[in-house]
Amino acid sequence: MKQKLLLILACVALLPGIAMALTVKGLVVDETGEPVAGATIRCEGSQSGTATDLDGQFTLDVPETAKNLIVSFVGMITQNVAVKPQVRVVLKENANNLDEVVVIGYGQVKKKDVLGSITTVKEKDLQDRTTGNVLEAMRGLTSGVKITNSGQAGSSPSMVIRGLGSLTNNTPLFIIDGAYAGNELGVNVEDIESIQVLKDASSAAIYGSRAANGVVIIKTKSGQGDGKLKVKFDAQLQLNWLPRYDLMDAETYKLYDNRAYDEAILAGVDKVFQRQNHYNGNTDWQDAMLRTGTLQNYNVAMSGGNEALNFYTSFNYMNDKGAMKYTGFEKYGFRVNTAGKKGIFSYGENLYYTYSTTKVLNSVGNVWSNFISMPPTIPVYDPEHDSGFGYGDSDRANSYGLNPIAMQELDQRVNKQEYLFGNVYGQVEYPEWARAKVNVAYKSYIGTTDRLRKSGSWTMGQGSDSAVLGWNEARYHDILVEQTYEFFHTFGKHDISALAGMSWNHFIQRDHSLTRQNPAQTDDKYLTEIDAATGDMTAGGNYGEYNLISYFGRINYNYDDKYLVQLTGRRDGTSKLPSKRRWGNFFSGSVGWRISQEAFFDIDWINDLKIRANYGSLGNSNIGNWDYVATLNSGPRAVFGTAENVAIGATQSRLVNTDLVWEKKTTFNVGVDFTVLNNRLRLSADYFNAKSKDLLVYLPILMSTGNEGGAPAVNAGSLTNNGVEVELSWNDHVGDFFYSATLNLSHVRNRVDDLGYGQDEYLTATSLSRIGSPLAQWNLYKMLGIFQSQEEIDNYVNSQGKIIQPNAKPGDIKYDDYNDDGQISSDDRQDCGSPWPKLEMGLNLTFAWKGIDLAINTYGRFGQKVFNGAAYTAGDFQDNQNNFNGIVPWTQEHPVNDRPRIIYGDSRNTRYDQDRWLEDGSFYRISDITLGYTFPQKWTRKIGMQNARFAITGKNLVTFTKYSGLDPEFADSGIWTQGYDGCSFPNPRAVQFALSFNF
Amino acid sequence: MKKFSIILASALIGCGLTTVVSSCSEDGLDIENGNSLNTSNFWKTESDAEKGVVAVYNMFYRQGTWTRNIYTQLNGMADDGVSYAGWSELAEYSKFIFTNYNFSEFNTKAYSEHYVAINRANQVLDHIDDIPFADSKHRDDLKAQTKFLRAFYYYYLANIWENIPICLTTSSAADRPEQGDLDRMLTIVENDLLDARNDLPLTRPESEYGRPTRGAAYALLAKAYAQHHKWNEAAEALKWIVEGEGKPLYDLVSDYGDNFRESTENNRESLYEIQFSMVMGTVGFDGTDNYASSSAQLGTQIEINQSPAGIGWNNIEANRWLVDWFKREKTVDGKNDPRLYYTLFYREAADDFPDNDNRIYKWDSWNEGWGNRVFIRKYSTDTHVNDIYYWNGNNFRSLRLADMLLLYAEVLNEINGAPTDQAIDLVNRVRTRAGLPELANSTYYNLATIKSSKEAFLNHIKTERALELACECVRWFDLKRWGIDNEQTLAELKSRDSDFNNFIIGKSIRVPLPQKDVDNNPNLKQNPNY
Repeated sequence: MKQKLLLILACVALLPGIAMALTVKGLVVDETGEPVAGATIRCEGSQSGTATDLDGQFTLDVPETAKNLIVSFVGMITQNVAVKPQVRVVLKENANNLDEVVVIGYGQVKKKDVLGSITTVKEKDLQDRTTGNVLEAMRGLTSGVKITNSGQAGSSPSMVIRGLGSLTNNTPLFIIDGAYAGNELGVNVEDIESIQVLKDASSAAIYGSRAANGVVIIKTKSGQGDGKLKVKFDAQLQLNWLPRYDLMDAETYKLYDNRAYDEAILAGVDKVFQRQNHYNGNTDWQDAMLRTGTLQNYNVAMSGGNEALNFYTSFNYMNDKGAMKYTGFEKYGFRVNTAGKKGIFSYGENLYYTYSTTKVLNSVGNVWSNFISMPPTIPVYDPEHDSGFGYGDSDRANSYGLNPIAMQELDQRVNKQEYLFGNVYGQVEYPEWARAKVNVAYKSYIGTTDRLRKSGSWTMGQGSDSAVLGWNEARYHDILVEQTYEFFHTFGKHDISALAGMSWNHFIQRDHSLTRQNPAQTDDKYLTEIDAATGDMTAGGNYGEYNLISYFGRINYNYDDKYLVQLTGRRDGTSKLPSKRRWGNFFSGSVGWRISQEAFFDIDWINDLKIRANYGSLGNSNIGNWDYVATLNSGPRAVFGTAENVAIGATQSRLVNTDLVWEKKTTFNVGVDFTVLNNRLRLSADYFNAKSKDLLVYLPILMSTGNEGGAPAVNAGSLTNNGVEVELSWNDHVGDFFYSATLNLSHVRNRVDDLGYGQDEYLTATSLSRIGSPLAQWNLYKMLGIFQSQEEIDNYVNSQGKIIQPNAKPGDIKYDDYNDDGQISSDDRQDCGSPWPKLEMGLNLTFAWKGIDLAINTYGRFGQKVFNGAAYTAGDFQDNQNNFNGIVPWTQEHPVNDRPRIIYGDSRNTRYDQDRWLEDGSFYRISDITLGYTFPQKWTRKIGMQNARFAITGKNLVTFTKYSGLDPEFADSGIWTQGYDGCSFPNPRAVQFALSFNF
Repeated sequence: MKKFSIILASALIGCGLTTVVSSCSEDGLDIENGNSLNTSNFWKTESDAEKGVVAVYNMFYRQGTWTRNIYTQLNGMADDGVSYAGWSELAEYSKFIFTNYNFSEFNTKAYSEHYVAINRANQVLDHIDDIPFADSKHRDDLKAQTKFLRAFYYYYLANIWENIPICLTTSSAADRPEQGDLDRMLTIVENDLLDARNDLPLTRPESEYGRPTRGAAYALLAKAYAQHHKWNEAAEALKWIVEGEGKPLYDLVSDYGDNFRESTENNRESLYEIQFSMVMGTVGFDGTDNYASSSAQLGTQIEINQSPAGIGWNNIEANRWLVDWFKREKTVDGKNDPRLYYTLFYREAADDFPDNDNRIYKWDSWNEGWGNRVFIRKYSTDTHVNDIYYWNGNNFRSLRLADMLLLYAEVLNEINGAPTDQAIDLVNRVRTRAGLPELANSTYYNLATIKSSKEAFLNHIKTERALELACECVRWFDLKRWGIDNEQTLAELKSRDSDFNNFIIGKSIRVPLPQKDVDNNPNLKQNPNY
């Protein structure tokens, strides 16, 4: 690039004799209005050209005949502009830039030299996505990454890279500015410069034992060294709404519930003699609990500096008044990043502090399932009850549904969290040879939860409990000390670099809790300090601690930009494994060949073509701190004698496996990177095969062992994940109209290779995992249809002529007698499909014309079978639950074949382990549509602004799916219950207004 | 020079750090768990053994054992109890409708908590012989207590599920225990009790009430033998209680109601009581089933579980026929059988027992909304209360003499093929305590008929047991002992309790094993026909 520039300048200098007719003066800026220094300006059809100065200004003399100027800059889309005396050129970023720098563990490489599978998300992709959570902002932007969120204010989404590789924890390792971050992700979206997702072994290997689930590296912004101060202000206002079940009102409910009782009386269900003497309420429980949520988010960032010192500071405030009443989240965040350089020394630090308050829902019951469980006849308030709230009554509404309003009113929890997160580093560098760096990262957390449980009931038969105050606090410190040495040099066509380092990580955590009965009370008000309570007190506390010591190294070799080789090794020792087994070694090797650099390669339209392959191992010891140590449970007590003396007991409650070893994952990855048609089209495709061995898992063990306190950790079995990922992007413009499209597709398949404890299969109530098949396949009773007549029941026989369901009545479900033994028994459960998507995709489109831009982000998952927990919860009036409008249960008059008769107090048709509740969970969602407008600079300049932008975003407004639950995108409830939507908190629909200024 | 300074600087940083890191190095990877004691330092002293045994007793205080669910299930399956529970799955389970074999509230909870108790006992038995004791008698006592408790849990496990895994040593995670059957499991129970009995003292000081005595071991042994139809062995054990060493120790209390009052716990009629107490105070609803909390509840939920709709959970109540049967006979002074009063709440109680307190918790009189329903009064709070609490401290009389006397009568009848005079006397002893006439003077029963055959006497015993022991979790095992293997027996049960309409001969006599354990233990087969 530099050479090219010199050449052009030389050309200009060497041609003084040509007649100049016109002088063009111009300014080149980027999309944010920042001047672009060093951009090349060439006159079409002539030799003349120049480059912009530091202020983005240029002056060029062109022949009179000249029509167009060609303006280009590295990483930007080349622009043609008409010749005028004054021109202003806005350069847009080219997403397919090959010289772009990609951050990898302990270093960075150019995109064209990347050997692993890495996806980058940039600041621009995150613009307008807000909501304060990085992960949510990343949804659909990368291939091979599954992000699922719950719509609850203050909740954190989950992220899984390339399918389930581990059975304990599938959360990738997050690194923010060189410091390990936990799931809490102490970072504002607005502060992020880039995110790199490291998906395969070669990219992640330098993180060894921590990287089995992939690595996400987040880099925050730093100040510019141009001596100018930059101020950026962002504000967003979001209005959001939660989807609702279409539930019956009281009148309709009574109609159906009466029918369910009539059916029960008719069918002789034991002890049912009369209909319910219904309450007179007509409560829409959803209406009572839901509202329009408002989320406000403000961010001010200031940055600047000179060559010696630069800084970036920001302040963030977010207030999320959740769309469910009694929820809310408020957060303050401060960031200071500074960096300085003096000669060979450089120094820097990144600090982030955040304080947040979350209103927590009562954890006793799921609000969404209680919307269904609570009969609409029950009033929200009922003065008959001591608590003043309505709930079930055996005669009037025989339901154990929990009144969701009462639950929150009577049990209030507020969670306050503080994080201090940051790192300090120092570095010495001998240019073109070596670099040594020390990095110390520290994270501190204090979280407290205050609880007030007022006395009073929210459900039938709740016993009279005294009021109680609760307080608990969790603190932790996480310290990381790292030192790295790098050597790099270029000898002719050989480019070598090597890295060696070590790190020490120490984590310590303490939890304390207190409860005290009988808080002091004045009228209806409770005093919430512990001292103001008079009753019994309990206290608890525990701590956790671990250390991880690591040594690592990496060698990169590059010959003539054609042949690329990378070798990585890491040795980790952890305190979480028994002393003889605590060290693990992890290696990886990668090779790449840039075919397009070869002399023989002469295809013009291909700009770059690289094939790459790597193989490596990663580890995981993401288990409890002392899972290999058998501990004593000193809690048990018993009482003896007339004086009721309490005796102290002790026993081992939780079994342990003392021979735990590192879980290892070996990954093979081949990929191709392809950039064609003048860098407009880029294709990246990867195939991977990842085999996890000695999986650490809390595999449930037999109840007959008498184990308590959670299943012991065990190295149980192995799992293979293989898949294909494709990322395709197109970037171009027609005149002033710029557009881009990025498509990412992934297909991952997992297979169980071994299950531990010598077992061939592992069954849960609804799933079966068998060696050779994917994990957790649905294993259920199959519904064949509905018995339409007694004759059909009598004719439903097995091969021996035995009547299979002799006790059935017309309107009951006809279950498949899978094993043909003439009865419906536990052996009739069968494979009912897979909870795993066959295809996951994201499609993102951007359009820009002058100041207007439009971005559409979409994604979808296809082919998975999911369990509709809401439909199961409704349960056909078995326990007087509410149900959905429009259901057509079987009756003599409406002999349908897909829904049985409704019947109170009888579970024959509503068992949970049947395929009746399974549905196709495929969906395609337009997650964000953003329309933005950047005000013309000639206006904004006048009021002293560099740039001003307004945008409106619609979130989750359109979802294409056949799934009848609230939201096809829900958080999985566990490894063995994949695809189980147990009335999960749905994602809200939202409209967001965003305003952004640069000074 | 520049190069040198770089090398120097790097070296300095490097050394500094290496010092930091290596000083924390390998040793730093050994971190002690200070949250709880490590088992490798346990099972060393007498005190450790004592604690280990207390942990077995602790299993009485769990929802799947004697805090709550066993009352619903055992009374519900029997013909004396019935469930109107608002939780239909819970109700169905007590009516032989087992849809979900993993039903958490009873099937997995009760089964797993029984095995927790067994594993706690196994730990004691595997270690106690290696622990030095100052007085080996103390060891023998602790061992005997543990064996009694293991037998106690296996007795219930075996009689509820029958074909259960056999676990007699400390569990490990990979265990796939083999399956026993009722015969084998009862043999295990009997052997433990035979081992235990002689090391248990005849009596214990007041401060030790709750730990089994020799009488308790004989009583449970007798019950196990009887379930096993080992009549001679059962007779021997019962003889020890009724005529032998146990004779001076036990007697029927004069007031039948004393068997269910908190103020008259550990009386002479009790051979074994589960000790409940409210010493832990009123910690909230979550205070049970916390396996590791030292402040977990030590009370029972028997009362709230069975108290009437609108007061408690009414998970379990009684069938109407009990009232009718009680009223067939009057006491010698012409009153209704006092056992009826102490057993049940029902609409006409105030008329039947005008001299007694007929308030029902917060209601002064029968709530007409309850109609003809019959609630269980046994173990309910004596005092008139507005709201009952989740727990109370009333001991559960698990083995009481009246049960033994009637069982002895039954066993003697089996051995002799006909009722002996002694058998009649035993029955009379139970009857006269309630104020009823001896059988010879009964206004309803005919002694001659009762004495006419083994079958006739057995039939009468069934009635006496039904009334004396109603709703005490005894009846279901009685029905099993007598057998429900023919349509005639079943028809009779159906006539008293419509729950038996769902009973399938050869299947419903045992509860399905929790499917999760069947699915994942290749040595365990689901019970027949499930």
